[in-house]
Parts: sequence; C-alpha cells; structure tokens
Amino acid sequence: MELINSLAAVPDTELFTGGHGGCRGCGAALAARQAMKALGPRTIITIPASCMATIGGSGLTTAWEIPFYHSLFECAPAVASGIRAALDIQGIEDVNVVSWAGDAGTADIGFQSLTGAAERQENIIHVCYDNETYMNTGGQAGSATPYLAATPDTPAGKPTPRKDMLAIMAAHRPAYLATASVAYPLDLIQKFQRAREIEGFRYIHILAPCFKGWGIKEDQTVQLARIAVECGLWQLYEEVDGRRRVTVIPERRLPVREYLRLQGRFQTMDEATIAALQAAVDRRWQEVPS
Amino acid sequence: MRQLLNGNEAAAHAARLARVEVLASYPITPAAPAMEKITQFIAEGSLKARFIRVESDHSAMAAALGASLAGARPFLITNSQGLAYMSEVLYHTSGLRQPVVMAVVNRALAAPHSRFPEQGDAVAQEAAGWIQLFCENNQEVLDSLLQAFRLGEDEGVRLPVMVNYEGYIQSHTRETVDLPQQEEIDGFLPLMRRPALDVANPMAVNTVAGPELYMDFKYHQDAALQQAAAVLEEVSAAYARLTGRDWGGPVAGYRLEDAEVVLVAMGSLVSTARIAVDALREEGEKAGLLKIRLFRPFPAVAVRQGLPAARAIVALDKNIVYGVGGALGRELRASLYGHASVPVFSYILGLGGRDAGVADLAQIYRQVRENMVAGLTPAAYQWYGL
Ligand SMILES: Cc1ncc(C[n+]2csc(CCOP(=O)(O)OP(=O)(O)O)c2C)c(N)n1
Ligand code: SF4
Ligand SMILES: [Mg+2]
Repeated sequence: MELINSLAAVPDTELFTGGHGGCRGCGAALAARQAMKALGPRTIITIPASCMATIGGSGLTTAWEIPFYHSLFECAPAVASGIRAALDIQGIEDVNVVSWAGDAGTADIGFQSLTGAAERQENIIHVCYDNETYMNTGGQAGSATPYLAATPDTPAGKPTPRKDMLAIMAAHRPAYLATASVAYPLDLIQKFQRAREIEGFRYIHILAPCFKGWGIKEDQTVQLARIAVECGLWQLYEEVDGRRRVTVIPERRLPVREYLRLQGRFQTMDEATIAALQAAVDRRWQEVPS
Repeated sequence: MRQLLNGNEAAAHAARLARVEVLASYPITPAAPAMEKITQFIAEGSLKARFIRVESDHSAMAAALGASLAGARPFLITNSQGLAYMSEVLYHTSGLRQPVVMAVVNRALAAPHSRFPEQGDAVAQEAAGWIQLFCENNQEVLDSLLQAFRLGEDEGVRLPVMVNYEGYIQSHTRETVDLPQQEEIDGFLPLMRRPALDVANPMAVNTVAGPELYMDFKYHQDAALQQAAAVLEEVSAAYARLTGRDWGGPVAGYRLEDAEVVLVAMGSLVSTARIAVDALREEGEKAGLLKIRLFRPFPAVAVRQGLPAARAIVALDKNIVYGVGGALGRELRASLYGHASVPVFSYILGLGGRDAGVADLAQIYRQVRENMVAGLTPAAYQWYGL
C-alpha cells in the first residue's frame, strides 16, 4: 500500500460530497470527507442517530456516493456486524464495512453494541467523530463532554471528567486503534489507509469540533482542533497489536489555557482548575514516548 | 421424514431447511435451545451460515437487519423481554421493508417476573408492522416458518414475519413432525437477493423523511401488509401441493357449518379448543372453532366469512391489553361491526402459564351458551380462572 504523502496526492473524487446538510465549518462533515478519500468507493457505511446521520441524506437526496444506512442510535456496530456477515456469506471480500458514530453513539447509548462488536473482533471499522456533546439534540452533555464544560443541561459546567474511551477501547485489544484530528488531514487519511489494510476490529477516534457546541466561530473549527493537539489535550497516535506510535509531534507547544479561553463553554473554569489541568497534561506529555 | 421434535427443534430444522445465512440471536428462556440447535447445525456443517454472537437482543435484531439490507437471508429467535427490548428495531425492519423472519417463543412479560407461556409479548408488538403468524402445534411451527420466508420475501409484500409458538407448551413438548426434503424446500424457497446496501448500486437508506414524504411511505407499508393475507393463501396452497399439509390461509375453521357458539383462539389453545369442540359436539352442542392463524394483518374478511351461522362468539385471549381487554376480543368486535350483530364474549385466560385445558374451555362455552339463551349482553371482557 502506498500512503498518501501530500495534500496534492489526495484523490479528487468526493464520496461525501458538497450539498450535505451540515452547518458551515462542521468538523464532523470534514472528518467524513477526509476519511472517504482513503476508504474509497467499495465501502458501506452505517451511521446511528446523530448530526452525521441526518446531514448526509434528507428527503430524496443524499451526499453519500457509497451505500449509507442511517441506523438506530444504539446499534451501528451491530448493524455493521450483520452487513459483514452478509458479505462474507456471499463471498464479497473487498468491501470496507464502517460504523461511524458520534460520541454518544459510541461512548454512551451505543457503547453496548460497540463493546460487543469489539469483543467479537468483528471485521469492521468503528469511527467515533467526537464533538464532545450531543449536538443533534441541542448540545447536551454526555460522557465525552469535558470537565466543567457548560452545556444546555450542565449550565454551571459538567461536574465530572470525560470518559477515557481510548483506554476502554484499547482494553478490547483491537487490531488497530488510532486517534485523529480534522486539523491534520494527511495523518487522518493515512490512518484510514492503514486501517483498511488490516483485518479485524479497528477503532478510530477523531476529534471533530462543533462551533455551536464549543462556543467558537464557524471558521475556528480547524484552528481549535489544531490547538487541542498543540496543547497536549488531544494526542495523535496509533496502536497496532497494542504497540503505540505517536504520529504527530506538534511543532509548537501551547498552554491549555489558550485552548480553553478561546471557547465559550469553559467560561466558568477558574485559574486553579486550569493550572491543575495543565499539570496533568505536562505529566502525560513526559510519559508518552515520541 | 417423521421425527419426534419439540417446538424449538422444529424451528431450528425450519431454519436449516430454509438455508438461513445469518443467525443473530441472544439467549432467552425458553427460546435459547432453538438458537443452540441452529449453531449445532452450523458447527456440524449441515447449515452454511454465520452466527453473530451478539451482546443483546437489540443488537440481534439490528445485526439481522443489517444482514438483510446487505442481501442475506437472516433468522432470529426471541420472546418476552428480548422482544420488548428489540421493539425499536422491529419498526425499522418493517419500515425498511426487510423480509426478516423471526421465531417468537411466546412468554409472559414482567413484572412480576415470569418465564411461562402467554401471548402478550407478541400482542404488545401488534403495531410494529410485522406479519404475525401463530401456530397450534410443532408441525405447524416448522411449516409456518418455511412459509414465512416465502410470504415475507414476496415482491408484493417485502415485510418481516414473526412466527409465534408458546414457551414450554410448544417449545419443550415433543410431537411427531414430518420434515420435508431439502430439495423440496429449495424449490419452494429460491433465494432472490435484493440488497439495499450494495457497492455496485449505492443508495442511502433511511434518510430523513419530512412531512411531504413520511406519510406516503407509511401508506405503502400498510398496503403491503394488507396484501399479506392474500399472499398467505397462495403460499399455503403451494406448500400444501408440495407436502400435502394445508394449514389454510389466515384463518381455519373446525366444525363451523352449523355452529352456533364459536370459540376463537390462536396458538396452542387452538388444539385444546379442537378437543373441547369434539367433546361438546358429542353432547349434542352446536359448537365450532375458528382458528386465527394470521394475527397481523388481522383477517377481518376471512373472519366474517368463517362465521356464517354463529349466534355467539367466544374470544379466548392469552393476553391482556390493559384497560381494553383481550386483543382477539377487540379485533373480532371491530371485524364484525357494521356487518353482523353477533355478541362477542371476551375471556382473558391462561396468562403467565396458568392452565387452560379442555374442561376450562367447555366451562366457558357453557357460560356463554347460558348468557346467549338468556339474551344477556356480553361484558367488555372477563377474567377466567382467577
Ligand atoms: C433511542 C434514542 N434516544 C434518543 C435519541 C435522540 N438523539 C438523537 S441524536 C442524539 C445525540 C447524538 O449525539 P452524538 O452521538 O454525540 O452525535 P452528534 O449529534 O453530537 O454529532 C440524541 C440524544 C434517539 N434518536 N434515539
Ligand atoms: S451542529 Fe455541529 S456537529 Fe452538527 S452539523 Fe452543525 S457543526 Fe456539525
Ligand atoms: Mg457528539
């Protein structure tokens, strides 16, 4: 397999096309567009209730150039398991089967079917596009929502920290696991390229900011996704057979304060909390081999 | 080939003969042995299928639906809590017009907790858009399941089918079952793939349907379901030509010609009622039986045609729709309204495994006969056997 090594080498074909129903600057739509560059046309995708499920098809139109099924909220990985079984029984081998869910469809209501599919080592790719809230229903807090983020149902800030989905999924010992960010398209595309070459259960978790939920402007989506990596809150790595490889070492390091203060949702966070978060990030930064 | 099989074994053999390709099922009592039997067929090589060992009933239905959308013939088995848990996916399956076949081993719904037979679990899903068949014995379990694939996959229908039989009374009771030959069933059930998810012909499935579209989808779905009654007649006739066994279409009558008091039932109560009718006939009573084989779509026309001489109808319901009564009682009254003014006496009995035997049905019959002679108006519904 030849990895796509420059933006110029990214194929022009769009498989998640323009004209979708997402907001301007939607990080989720960006993630799908980038991932499809690597997955290609022989891909079947199922997306549970979420922004991505609704923006890709409405009425008699669709932005998907590949087979797409908007599934129920809890069960995209189970649906994907069924699709894979059906393809296997028909002897169809060269098709990627992808369940693509938001953070709620992955870590909360969708977790039961996800852990089931991962434990069975289903030959599918599960993608979590993470905007850290329930955007399709108005941005309420979920288990992926960070500590003290203000949302419509946690107006004083979410009182508990974010669930560590990557640790949870790593504990399933998937064939492939990776983090990605819409601010690093080449890294994201290469990870999907590698994932599609591997057989077994593959998990890719993409940080995909949503301007509405985060209290930023539409044109700050990529900027915030990048700063999340630069301040160390979101690390880009992949794991094959449990061995981690950091894929992006940011050129500059920024304090977490910069990331937090740019967003409307962290306004209630005081300096002491920010300092504690910075200390935690610094500790982890030292632990991670680069 | 005749074998002694319980209902679960009969269901498993039907799945084998239908050459199901994907089994997605989650264990629940007393349905689990059917699932185990099918996995045994897969392990020994007599069935070429993929078993998806899902982590829940909801995922079982979701995986079966996914398999169907991708062009395979799936199968699954459940009941009670499992069926209730699947409910959301049942609606997706019918709304997407996927002909998934599922065996439902009827069991009472908690609370209070119960493992015992009753039909309330299936009745609770009456609006889910599935075809629902009920079976009176294990031969019919096998035969109806095989017919269910052809019925659901019919071009004019394209809907999922539930084939119901009761826990323990049927699932764990052995009866003689005649197994058709594989070649016979291969001819009866050719596999026609119609994948909705196909990389060669990409489509978006279940896009957002606004007010300008949703209702029309529902109109077509309901029309297809209504169509199922006539298609069942054809399928049953074709099956009868093949095997010599004719279960009738949506309903089947027994000693109805001059029957004045007609018992109406579905599931295992039908075979009990058959014996009760014979006993009552020996006593000179003009008793008859109308078996409801097809509960959804409810065969109102066939019911009316089946009850020519009836002066009183006895609805025997192993279910309770709280605040309304028995499902059959309600359907029968609705079917007759505006056509015939025959009183329908509605009885709730046999819930959660409570015995409902021949003597019980005879006693109900006598009660109704007395009421009929006295010209009493039936109560909305009454409980028998408390
Ligand atoms: C069973 C069920 N419960 C609740 C909902 C309502 N619902 C739809 S999408 C959604 C939130 C989705 O959040 P996420 O998965 O993070 O995706 P996002 O919309 O943020 O992209 C909720 C609560 C539903 N569709 N189904
Ligand atoms: S609300 Fe957020 S996640 Fe949803 S479409 Fe708009 S930008 Fe994308
Ligand atoms: Mg979200």
